[in-house]
Amino acid sequence: MNHRERVHAVLHYRPYDRMPLVSFGYWPETLTKWAAQGHIEAEDAEGYRRDGDNAPADRRVMRKLGFDFNWCSTVGGNSYLMPPFKEETLETKPDGSRIIRNAEGLIEKVNDAIVSIPAMVGTSLTGREAWEELYLPRLTFSPDRVDAETFRALAAESGQRLLPLGLQVGSLYGNIRNILGVEELSYLAVDDEVLYREIIDTIGNLCYQVAEAVLAFGVAFDYAHYWEDICFKNGPLINPAVFRELVAPHYARIGKLLLCHGIDITSVDCDGCVDLLVPVWLESGVNTMFPIEVGTWNASVAPWRKCYGKELRGVGGMDKRVFAQDRSAVDAEIERLKPLVDLGGYIPCPDHRIPPDAEFGVTAYYCEAFRKAFG
Amino acid sequence: MNLFEEISENLQKGNARGVKDLVQQAIDERRPAKEILDEGLLSGMSIIGEKFKNNEIFVPEVLVAARAMNMGAALLKPLLKEAGVKACGKACIGTVKGDLHDIGKNLVKMMMEGKGFEVIDLGTDVAPETFVETAAKENCQIICLSALLTTTMSGMEDVVKAAEAAGIRDKVKIMVGGAPLTDAFCRKIGADAYAPDAASAADKAVEFCSA
Repeated sequence: MNHRERVHAVLHYRPYDRMPLVSFGYWPETLTKWAAQGHIEAEDAEGYRRDGDNAPADRRVMRKLGFDFNWCSTVGGNSYLMPPFKEETLETKPDGSRIIRNAEGLIEKVNDAIVSIPAMVGTSLTGREAWEELYLPRLTFSPDRVDAETFRALAAESGQRLLPLGLQVGSLYGNIRNILGVEELSYLAVDDEVLYREIIDTIGNLCYQVAEAVLAFGVAFDYAHYWEDICFKNGPLINPAVFRELVAPHYARIGKLLLCHGIDITSVDCDGCVDLLVPVWLESGVNTMFPIEVGTWNASVAPWRKCYGKELRGVGGMDKRVFAQDRSAVDAEIERLKPLVDLGGYIPCPDHRIPPDAEFGVTAYYCEAFRKAFG
Repeated sequence: MNLFEEISENLQKGNARGVKDLVQQAIDERRPAKEILDEGLLSGMSIIGEKFKNNEIFVPEVLVAARAMNMGAALLKPLLKEAGVKACGKACIGTVKGDLHDIGKNLVKMMMEGKGFEVIDLGTDVAPETFVETAAKENCQIICLSALLTTTMSGMEDVVKAAEAAGIRDKVKIMVGGAPLTDAFCRKIGADAYAPDAASAADKAVEFCSA
């Protein structure tokens, strides 16, 4: 079996020869540290920072560690602001931090010396006028959102591919959060519900049109993939009832399109405690949770399977925090994963990108121990 | 429904303009500012806090309720000062050195203000000495520390140590929270309390200040 066949087998509850050893990439700083320690080449650290998941540098690092492939092996069209805003510095603070307008029009505080998610300060989407003038034209479908050459080439090699390839559909709500920020998005829902709904529908429709245009090339995708990142440690950043009413119909519509093209595995990347959104996703055709961030809330595929049955699949759920510990922590984690793998329909994978506190040797040992445990 | 209940109801719905108008009406009717605050605004926020803790409402509802509270509170502020009404406690809050992500910190601040606290927001990426100097200078009973990342949470221990070094450790409670935090970590670094969510943080702060 090749990895593509293995993924299909596991996620469709069919027999497989061994469990694929899946990665979810790294923080760039992790690879910089490992390169400085002599574990990997400096050019691979730089190459990953530049080219990202599944590019040649990532593949070389995965080979050194022992991973088979990166789950984020996805391609898609552009369902984002096109063109993006020009990133600009609005203010430089005495402590070196900067207030910037980023590519999504969000005003945020960054500090180049700090590895952190930025602090949101405001948004350029200040109301209907800004929406219609600055955003709506950037969120309208046009054929150049899809790189025809790429998809023609992928369609031609579909039958020979050994690794799974996902269709990146984009994000139906996380993308809006990225444009507005959590606070402004919450206020908008109350202050201008019509505009709030219009933004959701615009982005949902754009994701549909882009996916439709990509699928027309006939690439044999193995799965579809969304990202959302709309949960924190205690639950969702959106009321699940609102999510079900306004966002789920777009998932369902895109889901039907995917099924028409033979794609029956659809994963969503959402960190944090996603429990309350899982049923909404499942109802609307998203059947594979990723990366199942274990966190302090102990996320696991097991309780979801109990609630929702075999329709619920998972990729992830391996607690990356053990990479900062030692081999015995890895062994304990592998033992914890064994009964989850036995459930079927589940592929373990680090529950987020490997952070800079991870030790190269411990991470490589995880790959070694994983192979011993799961073939 | 009496006027205070109306204020509370509108606050829970996130109707900021409604809250502002009703608070103004209560002021015009010469209701005592402390009563408007306690029985209208804080009563509404208290219900929001409980519902948030129980997953009956979510972050957006908390944010719009807090905004409504702030609209009403702004009208009351000079009157409360004039009447000599003191906050139920004083705290300073911030994300620790190296951490810029502040949604959790902002939620805790809102919840604490919803319990009647005066909260000094030190912002993000705050140095240990800034927490300690502020707590000492402003007579804060509580220092609240937030961290999103496993790579930054160790900065919380630096604040505990800085408070010890400055000789204020016995005068101030140190509370910690954030995605990677646990009660065990809190105990390990010698902080006083870990709060699993924003509403619990506010409850804990009240507990500290009423002890």
